[in-house]
Amino acid sequence: MPDALALVKGTLDVLVLKSLSWTPMHGFEITRWLEERSGRALEVNDSALYQALYRMEERGLIEAEWGVTENNRRARYYRITPAGKAQLETETAQFVRYAQTVMGILAAAPDPA
Amino acid sequence: MIRPGIRRLFRLPPRGSQDPVADLEEEIRLHLELRAEQLEREGLPPEQAREAARRRFGPPDEARRTLREAARRRESRLRLREWLAGVRQDLRYALRTLGRSPGFTAVAVLTLALGIGANTAIFSVVNGVLLQPFPYPEADRIVTLWQHDRAAGVERDEVSAANLLDWRERSRSFSGMAAIEPYGLDFQGPEGPVTLDTWLVTEDFFRVMRVPALLGRTLGPADYLQSTRPVYEQGVPSLVLSHGVWRDRFGADPTVVGRTIRVDGSPATVVGVMPPGFQFPDGGSVWAPLAFGQDASRRGALRRGANYLQAVGRLRPGVTLEQARAELAGIAVQLGGEYPETNQHVGVTADPLPETLVGSVRPALLLLLGAVGLVLLIACANVANLLLARGARRQREFAVCAAIGAGRGRLLRQAMAESAVLAVLGAAGGLLLAWWSLRLIVRAAPSDLPRLDGVAIDPWVLLFALGACLLTTLLFGLAPALSLARPDLAASLSGAGRGATAGRRNRRLREGLVVGEIALALLLLVGAALVVRSFVALLQVDRGFRSERVLAVTVQAWSYFPDRAQRAAFVEEAIERMAALPGVEAVGMTSSLPLAESIGAEEAEFEIRGRAAPRTGEAPSAHAALITNGYLDALGIPLRRGRLFTPQDDADAPHVVLVNETMARRHWPGADPVGERLTIRFAGPPVEAEVVGVVGDVRHAGLDVEPEPALYFAYPQARTGAITFTLRTAGPPLALLGAVQGLIWEFNSSMPLADATTLDTLLAESLRSRRFSLFLLGGFAVLALLLATVGVYGLLSYAMRERVSEIGIRMAMGASAGDILRWAMRDGLRLIVAGLAAGVVAVVLLTRLLKSMLYGVGPGDPLALAAAMGLLAATALLATYLPARRASRVDPVDALRAG
Repeated sequence: MPDALALVKGTLDVLVLKSLSWTPMHGFEITRWLEERSGRALEVNDSALYQALYRMEERGLIEAEWGVTENNRRARYYRITPAGKAQLETETAQFVRYAQTVMGILAAAPDPA
Repeated sequence: MIRPGIRRLFRLPPRGSQDPVADLEEEIRLHLELRAEQLEREGLPPEQAREAARRRFGPPDEARRTLREAARRRESRLRLREWLAGVRQDLRYALRTLGRSPGFTAVAVLTLALGIGANTAIFSVVNGVLLQPFPYPEADRIVTLWQHDRAAGVERDEVSAANLLDWRERSRSFSGMAAIEPYGLDFQGPEGPVTLDTWLVTEDFFRVMRVPALLGRTLGPADYLQSTRPVYEQGVPSLVLSHGVWRDRFGADPTVVGRTIRVDGSPATVVGVMPPGFQFPDGGSVWAPLAFGQDASRRGALRRGANYLQAVGRLRPGVTLEQARAELAGIAVQLGGEYPETNQHVGVTADPLPETLVGSVRPALLLLLGAVGLVLLIACANVANLLLARGARRQREFAVCAAIGAGRGRLLRQAMAESAVLAVLGAAGGLLLAWWSLRLIVRAAPSDLPRLDGVAIDPWVLLFALGACLLTTLLFGLAPALSLARPDLAASLSGAGRGATAGRRNRRLREGLVVGEIALALLLLVGAALVVRSFVALLQVDRGFRSERVLAVTVQAWSYFPDRAQRAAFVEEAIERMAALPGVEAVGMTSSLPLAESIGAEEAEFEIRGRAAPRTGEAPSAHAALITNGYLDALGIPLRRGRLFTPQDDADAPHVVLVNETMARRHWPGADPVGERLTIRFAGPPVEAEVVGVVGDVRHAGLDVEPEPALYFAYPQARTGAITFTLRTAGPPLALLGAVQGLIWEFNSSMPLADATTLDTLLAESLRSRRFSLFLLGGFAVLALLLATVGVYGLLSYAMRERVSEIGIRMAMGASAGDILRWAMRDGLRLIVAGLAAGVVAVVLLTRLLKSMLYGVGPGDPLALAAAMGLLAATALLATYLPARRASRVDPVDALRAG
């Protein structure tokens, strides 16, 4: 397996939002989801994840509530809010445009000398 | 997840946790467990799995710290949002509940509006008059100066030119000192000749006041170079207009600056216009230069004993008022030694300008503010009572909420929300009331209430209203809130649900409030009664003259008839012609009209022939005037002894005077003054005169001032320029004004009437200040009475409604309607008696504050007290009777069923 990619700064938020866009999950579930979805190429810094979660909760992009897992353990579930959904859309579009632009430059053939 | 709306419906505790840090730890612990399990599944032994999980998590300490902070921050933000949502909900709920009992809400809001409105209105006056800054830069460095006549006990006497010049020359505390002389300039305006009230000011004046002109410039050195001869002879070279006169008589025309106009028959240049609000001294239209020219000394203007100037100065930077006062006192002593005849008992009084302008009204205004504050307290007490009574009935409702789990804080907040809504509505109504009543107050206010034009609803006033609103919310909102916060759950839930102990405490509180209200209402009523009695006493005092249908017309004839003989001829002929006018019953002339502002000299010093000469400075003085017999006739002043003037008492004959009864009593007690000879100094060199008659006293200075000794000269025999014709008319006096003016113009078409009024108007003006106090204090007293009555009524109404079942039982046991009535009223009577007793104590302690406003009655006047107590008791009894009667009419069957 190739080396795990470090996350480019700022993309953790949008990834977390995406992960929550189907169903509420608690912190560990989010980590697992990201790891599986990226084929283990992404290694998420756990504490960074929780900081991101708290930050987004403060801003009202996600909401949290204590719930219970299948194994009857108390866990804090996070859920995306309408504001979060809107933010997800905007940031996704922005990221895609950014990636395409950079790709465009990087993929270009070198200028004939 | 449970939807937020559902949570609130059931009043479940908010989602916020109690301890964000503990939650954080739990969250992290779960994460580590799950990670460890995952690693175990992948083959790691448990110990290593756990280790690896911890390592995976990240740098432990830093992570924890950041996470903890983030968790705490998040928590507080969530709490805030939750709290705001709760408050919003409380407000909506409060509005709904208030809407369901419109009667209660209306009474409460009206009560608060009255209380807050009255306070805001009075505060506006206090703010505009006392608190707003003055339009003069560093106004507290400007000082008004007066002579302190220690012999006569007058602290603020006008200043003589000689003294003022010496003060200015010898003192080093002032950067400038100016003299001000009142004068009148006859101006030929577009609508005819008119007299402009003028202030003649010396060169320093505008430098002292430091207010620049709005248009053009203020008086400068060039204007003073030209005026070496007194105003009476040559007019003024230049003048500065006040904003008011510029607006009213010159149409706010900007080209007026530099224009030459004719005043007093001579050309004068308008050099500038002052900004609005510059009105010092009060009551002037123009400012013109005053120079003490050489010729002034001939007329005695520079004479050291001639006190006719006002003086104002500005303290030099760094000099304090105390230092200036000390220095001036020293200079006064020097002058006293150098000029003992005039200055031996003369000191200097120096007041900072703000004190001069508003110092006299400050105590009255502050007293008013105190009174109106009391009214607000009563209003709050009433609303608190109403809320408490209402709260008692909602006891059960709140008990249920508490049972489900609503926290005490939450209940408190909800009760306060209701109070807040009431207070805000009350404050809004109050502001409206204040705005409306302010216009009334400004119109009715006494004319000597200074700075009235600054009284308006401005940001400070709004802030005050807001503060009053908050204060009242706290005052009356806390009472019911606190009593609700400890509901006795079991008792409330069960039917015995009036909540025995809480109800009793509640009741005691309410009763105490009503007793307090009655006491305060009594205090205000007694105050009003005292003022009413003073007013009545004043009206009934013997004035010594009649004011009905007397027209008084003042002419400044000095400049038109400079010769004494000419003036005498003018006066004689004018009186003859006026007597011939239809509707004129009597005509006369005087140089000094009662209750009017003085023009010219009014005090004379005299010595009685044959008595030891008095020490210098202690010569007796008397009020003095020039009159014709017609004046006495027109004003109904009787002759007591001797004779009036005859045509033989003309300019060439020996001088004769009339004295009044007070003078006769004081200087010739028990003897007849007719035939006595006096040497009198009045507006000129001393003359010898014989007393030929004694006339009745006149309350000249004011109805509440005891008459002074007075002597009267026959007009042809002495000289001042002030001429006021007094005409007694058969019909309304002002109807003859046109005819009189026309008559005067026949003599000289450019001679204006300096003033025209009726004695009744002057009388009303002199009483205006008292009438105003009466109006205000009376208004507040009525307000307090209304509020106290509502308070008693409300309290007893609710009490009766609570005790309905008890009424039923009593009736069932054989009580008649009359018995019930008496039983019901007993409670009310108890309160009334307690309130009156407390009120009497307050009256005894506090009415002495009114002493300065009273006339003819003392603060302890029993009649006023009895009247106030009677009125209050009667209305309170009525307020008790009505609910009691309703209780006695209750159908016993219904009563028992309601229990």
